[in-house]
Amino acid sequence: MSFVPGQPVTAVVQRIEIQKLQQGDNLILGFSIGGGIDQDPGQNPFSEDKTDKGIYVTRITPGGPADVAGLMMGDKIMQVNGWDMTMVTHDRARKRLTKKNEGVVRLLVTRKSLEEVVKQSMNKYPRQ
Amino acid sequence: MFCRNQTARATVARGSALEMEIRRGKFRKSVFLDTSQQDSDIQKKIDHEIRMRDGACKLLAACSQREQALEAAKSLQTCSTRIMAYMSELQRMKEAQVMQKVTRRSSDAGPMDDRLPCKGKVAISDLRIPLMWKDTEYFKNKGELHRCAVFCLLQLGGEIFDTDMVIVDRTLTDICFDNTIVFKEASPGFELRVELYSCCSEDDYSAGSTPRKLASKLSSSLGRSAGKKLRAAMEPGPCSPISNGGASPLLLPVPSVAGPKYHLLAYTTLSLSNVQDSFRTHDLTISGNEECSYWLPLYGSMCCRLAAQPHCMTQQMISGRLKVKQCGGDPQSSTKVYAVLKGTSLFCYHQQEDVEANIEPAFTIAVNKETRIRASEKDPHSNVQNICISNQYGGEEVTHTLTTESREDTHRWMEAFWQHFYDMSQWKQCCDDLMKIELPSPRKPAPATPKQGSLYHEMGPRPCTLHQLSRSPVSPHRCPQLALLSSDASLTSDSDSHRSTSPCSHHHGWPEPSSNFSLLSSSPSHLRPRTLSLDAKLSTLRGRGYGGGGTFHCSCQPPPSSLLAPLPISSRSPRSQRSTQTTLSCSSSTSSNSSSNSEGSHSPAEGAPFSRPSMARRSLRNLRARLDPRNWLQSQV
Repeated sequence: MSFVPGQPVTAVVQRIEIQKLQQGDNLILGFSIGGGIDQDPGQNPFSEDKTDKGIYVTRITPGGPADVAGLMMGDKIMQVNGWDMTMVTHDRARKRLTKKNEGVVRLLVTRKSLEEVVKQSMNKYPRQ
Repeated sequence: MFCRNQTARATVARGSALEMEIRRGKFRKSVFLDTSQQDSDIQKKIDHEIRMRDGACKLLAACSQREQALEAAKSLQTCSTRIMAYMSELQRMKEAQVMQKVTRRSSDAGPMDDRLPCKGKVAISDLRIPLMWKDTEYFKNKGELHRCAVFCLLQLGGEIFDTDMVIVDRTLTDICFDNTIVFKEASPGFELRVELYSCCSEDDYSAGSTPRKLASKLSSSLGRSAGKKLRAAMEPGPCSPISNGGASPLLLPVPSVAGPKYHLLAYTTLSLSNVQDSFRTHDLTISGNEECSYWLPLYGSMCCRLAAQPHCMTQQMISGRLKVKQCGGDPQSSTKVYAVLKGTSLFCYHQQEDVEANIEPAFTIAVNKETRIRASEKDPHSNVQNICISNQYGGEEVTHTLTTESREDTHRWMEAFWQHFYDMSQWKQCCDDLMKIELPSPRKPAPATPKQGSLYHEMGPRPCTLHQLSRSPVSPHRCPQLALLSSDASLTSDSDSHRSTSPCSHHHGWPEPSSNFSLLSSSPSHLRPRTLSLDAKLSTLRGRGYGGGGTFHCSCQPPPSSLLAPLPISSRSPRSQRSTQTTLSCSSSTSSNSSSNSEGSHSPAEGAPFSRPSMARRSLRNLRARLDPRNWLQSQV
């Protein structure tokens, strides 16, 4: 999922809605993120393109809210509640996900398998 | 100046600001010779802006506080830009009038045939410009905290708006403007120009022109306080035409006032192709270079949400009574409806009152890019033309036939449909769906402390040590490996010795324990924001005798009872060993361990096979992981 600066990014995305879980004082989502424009993209184990500075899901707490909602490890988060996540610093991404007054986050995530599925279904029903 | 019997003379009100300017010779009076309504509107606007500008100049000269001066300079810049825009619009109108007179005299101009697309509302919101600080600047945070005041000017057609001013320093990762700006009358070929102005926020503002590098050399050689003043005094002069925001020689010059001056840092132009219902990233063209005092390291892009609501989507285009018959249905039945064309549909209500009463329409016929409308042949019996609307609903073609009451009505409806299709073809993607535009809410009173990302503002100048990663005083941290990192780093903090350790737990607006990169310490003697490097902090801890014999908890190993036995690190007495190699391996193993730890004081039910390390230890480990640029940070949310 490489991008060319200045050109729109297109991706097949899945909508995932996660209800935050109250744990003590905090509302948690149950996953970890990595990446950001201030991070070294070469160390991202999940990205296809090693210059991709996007935000990726690096770990899912089993049974947690993200797991229940269908988020998977290795997903790239494109938007959170409408906020763009393709060009954010790591800290800003974390802040967007952990806003105290939001009980639910709606993510748009993309993963390789989604593109595959779309390609396969397009092959099945060629345009007439 | 005021002559009643000569209607072609311009009337300039006595005592108005415009008259004063004319007297001063700044305007040519001939510019205002026409008395048409539009011109007098613009004259009034120019008058108003000139008054505002004079007020801003006076305020700038009078105010003593830096914040006030920056705000006044910002309004000055905005007023100047608006004046220039109105002047050029006036010029254009003059030229258009002259052209019209010429064409009227020369030929009989027929009725203008060109169809004009409808106008619409364009809104831009949530502007965010990421910054790209160098590693050395950001993490080590050495030297003076260079701050700039920035704001954006947005111009579309004749309307110019400015955003609020934001102070930026190297603790911020992005410049964010929370304003939503709505332009009411924009045509589809609009060009929205976004300009980012910045101004160095230092003490002295006298004009002068010394490159920053030379100035910083001077400042460092002269001693800190004297040098700082000197450096601030020498910033690139504001006299070049570029720094006036592109003032052309025709228009009146910006009055030179002592005080902060804004310079254009970056700009871009957005148009219809950039409009979308979600956020997009756009490129910025950066003017200026590193030598300028107003320089900020921009990443080169800008994110924003640009939405447009053409009037054809929000307003009723045409409405009236019709008889609608669906082909393929009961051929004799045609329903009498009151139809309203709005957006991408033709709403058919039973009665006209239903529209106001917000009752659901009887049925709706889609009118979008795929719809085909044509006038059918005259019905031999009634001599009235029908209009046929065809849509494709999932492979099937559905046609509705509309019958109007008279031939003029048919013509009116066809005209409206043509205009509607033309609008949709001009506004392109904006007509697929109605984009939401949030009207800016009435301004809330500005918070007492400016809301910034910088820690300093949130804290207030309280003499306490902030351990921002833990809410308890630093517990005996016995992890000697951390001391290794500070081996060759110089200590920047000089207030370590008399720092008090009172914990400051509840701060206004404090998001989360480990949310910010900078540690702060403000001792009673200086109130300057200091971002302590990790090295400084660690050496402090070491100095307090916390070193030696630490347990190291990691998630993948059982808690070691003895020192460092389980860890695959060669060094056993880490304090004495300061080899870089050991440091590197230590930090990498630490980071890989800590990155799988949870941040903050709550770890979810992971079933991690480790006893919970104390918050301070874990958070300090996290701090090191976060600040080390070699790592790829992971955060638990």
